[in-house]
Amino acid sequence: MKPKRPLDPYLFLAPTALVLGLFFFWPLALVFKNSFYRWDMLTPPEWVGTANYAQILASGELWGTIGRTLSYSVVVVVVSLALGLGLALALDRPGKLYAFVRGAVFSAYVVSWVAVALLWMWILDADGGLLSTLCRAMGITPKNWLGDPAVALYTLAAVSVWKITGYSMVIFLAGLQDIPRSLHEAAALDGAGPFSRFLHVTWPMLRPSASFVGTTSLILSFQAFDVVRVMTQGGPVKSTTVFVYAIYEHVFVNLRVGRASAMTVAFFVLLLGLTALQLGSWRLGKTGARRA
Amino acid sequence: MSVRLGRRDALLTLASSFAALAGAGCARGGKDGEASLWFAYGGTNREVLLSLVDRFNAEQTTYRIKAIYQGDYFEALAKLRTAIAARAAPALTHVVGEVVPYLAQAGTLLPVDEANHVTGDIVPALGQTGCFVRGGERPIVCAPFNRSTPIAYYNRAIFDELGLHPPTTWKELESVARAATVRANDGTVTRHGFACPIDWWFWVALVGQAGGTVVENDGAPSLGGEAGVRALEFWQRLVHEERTMKPPPGRDYNAWQATNTDFLAGRVAMIWTSTAFLKYLETNAKFPVGAAPLPGDVRKSVPTGGTMFVIPAASAERERPAAHAFLQWMMLPRQANEWATRTGYLPVSQKGLAELEASGYYDAHPNDRVALDQLKDAFAWPWAPSLFRIQREAVQPRLEEAVLARRDARATLDEARRAAREP
Repeated sequence: MKPKRPLDPYLFLAPTALVLGLFFFWPLALVFKNSFYRWDMLTPPEWVGTANYAQILASGELWGTIGRTLSYSVVVVVVSLALGLGLALALDRPGKLYAFVRGAVFSAYVVSWVAVALLWMWILDADGGLLSTLCRAMGITPKNWLGDPAVALYTLAAVSVWKITGYSMVIFLAGLQDIPRSLHEAAALDGAGPFSRFLHVTWPMLRPSASFVGTTSLILSFQAFDVVRVMTQGGPVKSTTVFVYAIYEHVFVNLRVGRASAMTVAFFVLLLGLTALQLGSWRLGKTGARRA
Repeated sequence: MSVRLGRRDALLTLASSFAALAGAGCARGGKDGEASLWFAYGGTNREVLLSLVDRFNAEQTTYRIKAIYQGDYFEALAKLRTAIAARAAPALTHVVGEVVPYLAQAGTLLPVDEANHVTGDIVPALGQTGCFVRGGERPIVCAPFNRSTPIAYYNRAIFDELGLHPPTTWKELESVARAATVRANDGTVTRHGFACPIDWWFWVALVGQAGGTVVENDGAPSLGGEAGVRALEFWQRLVHEERTMKPPPGRDYNAWQATNTDFLAGRVAMIWTSTAFLKYLETNAKFPVGAAPLPGDVRKSVPTGGTMFVIPAASAERERPAAHAFLQWMMLPRQANEWATRTGYLPVSQKGLAELEASGYYDAHPNDRVALDQLKDAFAWPWAPSLFRIQREAVQPRLEEAVLARRDARATLDEARRAAREP
């Protein structure tokens, strides 16, 4: 379709382009530029070429941070997805009790991250916390949940799972309610049991919901900051220093804007790669489905 | 009468509201005679500071101070740097001593005392004089505010019950911690004899006690050489071999708070922390709290700590007279003493200190005397511009790694030295 006035499409696009340019592309370009400088925000920046990238690579910081972030994300995405699906299947029933439980599970999602972190710090206190007291009562030696470098990252992942599982559940519930009852009835008439009905009817119909939940949980887990800032400040021994927190530490603690910018560029490239992979697999799935 | 607003009118109103809001946000400073003070205390210390600010505002009508809380020291510093970069800094704030040389080198601080009205009476060990590496003649860019030293606090009830005395040497510290530690039948520790945040400040104290210096007089980061290694190995031994020292969870002031909480809950018999917590611990403990100087190894040594008042160059000019007036008022004996006696920080005014001595305050409050007496063992910080980065980036994270993950102390400090020399 050809517009009457050739400028009109650009005028319509302008507000969005302006917002995107001002708040996304311009800061991104600045970050890219800053990654080639040594700068502390107070003294003039000094050109250092690719030294910031070389430093984060040579010190092992980049790989360490990627490893921790991916470990955290995998646990958060997989467990919240599985739990959300399980809860949705269990609670997709009429009745006030089920409605109350659905509301209770979802309520964690609307509480602020800081409040959640503070609540869990109290529960997870190694000496007087609820969990440790419970462990001791059951004769189990409690762990130092937030103080043990081998455990702390997974403790934070568990807290994040607790918070976002309600969200996955709601999306899956919406997906479940979109599946026509006739499909289940037809499958039952054909002799399919509950597990077969789930495998051949429910799950294929829930795939778009699962894909949506997976993507949004992945984005959310990559943005983890508040929970780290409040509960562990990246410790112990850097074991919970995930990407966004590492960037924050470089800028605001170590006064190194250049190094933080290099980390940000690496983070951007990593997310771009993951998005491309996801998009590729989604397109592949669509093509496969069409061929089938 | 009803007025019908068109879409254009609504949009115009909205746009002008935004413009007004933006204008208000961009306006520099408040009314004439007003100044903002960014501060970084919670709890009792915050209440004391706010009561002093209220008194300053009530005692005169020319100036008005607006005190604004900005998180802990490091959060406040992050905000201050951003505000300086945006040329929207407060007229007065306070920063940890280690960061003063960095801010001064960057040209972001104004002299606070050109006429020597503010710092003429301060206790010499607590001011700027003698601190800067290659100091020479330079303007006074900071005035002492809440100054402290680390001290030992002990649970007097436990110590009396076990017949223990505060340790005066590292050896005694080991044996006292061992005696005060309680283990269950399965070997798990139910009460630690000793706890201390794994923090640069306490490690610097240990390095000094072991005979070393963290930053040499020329600004080179030696990290104490052999003394640094011995200090770190001492912690490692107490935590892993003796299992009498509890390394608190969390970092920075979260770890400090965890140490206090453990002490107050009776989970630890003795802690090292700042004299800043003296009144807090005395008030909140359900047992008598004793205070003692830190022990020595080859010598006694403690760093001073706390923060200094600074006036950022990026502050609004019209706010500065109020900031100067408040600063001068805070250095007077009455305020300096009130701040010290209500918090536990050191009194910074010499005249004020003499008044406290004469009034018999220290006889009635022997715990308050500990940090003061320790000043004879305090050293002047070698304020090199890189000191803050050495602390935050090169040393602090590695101390945690060496103690908690039990990394070789020498290798850790070699790596920290390399990191400290990075530009």
